[in-house]
Amino acid sequence: MDARPLLEVKDVTKSFFENGKEFKILDLVRFDLAESDFVCVVGPSGCGKSTLLRIIVGLEKPTSGQVLFEGEPIRADNPQVALVFQSFALFPWLTVEQNVELGLEAKGTPSEQRKAIARRFIEAVGLTGFEDAFPRELSGGMKQRVGIARALAIDPLLLCMDEPFSSLDPLTAQNLRDEILQLWANPDLPPKAVLMVTHAIEEAVYMADRVIVLSSRPGRMVAELEIDLPRPRNRKEPEFYGWVDEIYSLIV
Amino acid sequence: MTDFHPISKVTLGQIVGLIEAVDEIGGTADAATVSQEVDMDVDRLGPILNAGEFLGLVTVEDGDVHITDVGRKLLHANVQERKRIIREIIDDVPLFRLVMDTARAAGRPLSRGEILDALSARVGSHQAQDLFKALVYWGRYVELLRYDSQSELLSLRTPSK
Repeated sequence: MDARPLLEVKDVTKSFFENGKEFKILDLVRFDLAESDFVCVVGPSGCGKSTLLRIIVGLEKPTSGQVLFEGEPIRADNPQVALVFQSFALFPWLTVEQNVELGLEAKGTPSEQRKAIARRFIEAVGLTGFEDAFPRELSGGMKQRVGIARALAIDPLLLCMDEPFSSLDPLTAQNLRDEILQLWANPDLPPKAVLMVTHAIEEAVYMADRVIVLSSRPGRMVAELEIDLPRPRNRKEPEFYGWVDEIYSLIV
Repeated sequence: MTDFHPISKVTLGQIVGLIEAVDEIGGTADAATVSQEVDMDVDRLGPILNAGEFLGLVTVEDGDVHITDVGRKLLHANVQERKRIIREIIDDVPLFRLVMDTARAAGRPLSRGEILDALSARVGSHQAQDLFKALVYWGRYVELLRYDSQSELLSLRTPSK
């Protein structure tokens, strides 16, 4: 049996230097992520959680420490890791289908296969009917669905999401959270693991199996909590609120 | 002809989010509580409540929001089943019917201009724009209409499932 975790974040520290002075953003962050983990990193704004995510996907280098993916140092062009952005990051001059196909093009998937794969994931996120629409014709929730379809289309092992609901109105956000959990519950669909960054504590407790709590600047790990509530979770239940309260007390 | 108006400027995602919120509160809740729970004021929540009521997914009586049987079915359905449920509802909306029938009778795609003209004659050009957008959104969602925003042509489509 291969006991090696999918992702290993090993004592990641990140500092910025200005006029010879060090500003520490992240301090010795360390955790693992295994297959079938849904992990949320939660912390107040300015705790460096988005920077942490950028380091994890290989877009930024840590000042010290390292990130291993399947035992190897992470590379930004790793097709096994996909990223969903807060701002959707769609190309406005491309249709929904073309946006979803982009990642497949980069991966070198032959063009005849791209369409079929793109359609499958467009269907999975409920956007069949909008294949030929341009991003300007879509609501925020639909744009984020395109971002999710594009990320899943490359068949990633690890899906990373950076505040994926924070540009959406509360009702759209709640609906999309549930749809993502539905996708996650489907064993026929990627990914094998999810790492999501959020500042919304309720959202983290609603979605994750494990929550990693960061302190404010510099971001240090203050707790790693297993959320053992059954799904679907009800945010009105006392057990749910117990977790939310506990995380609040750790941050504030 | 204004019968589509309640569902213009509202998405299905918002309506489902509303039903989820009411369900979590216990299946019935007064609008003020819902507004507080979801952190949306009445100006923003009102149109979504109206849309949910128009589609028969919730009822609003004396300020109390209640989930209907169809609304509950929608809540527990997966993404693809939701499309089918909404398709059956939308298909019965007179304005939608009219556009579908017109396109079928014409035997060719309809241009945005023709549809806007027909709508404007009845509701004025400002509202016609909103209705057209709504028609395109819901028509695409239920996979009965196809719209190419570059050629500005609206045509019929056969749903995939």
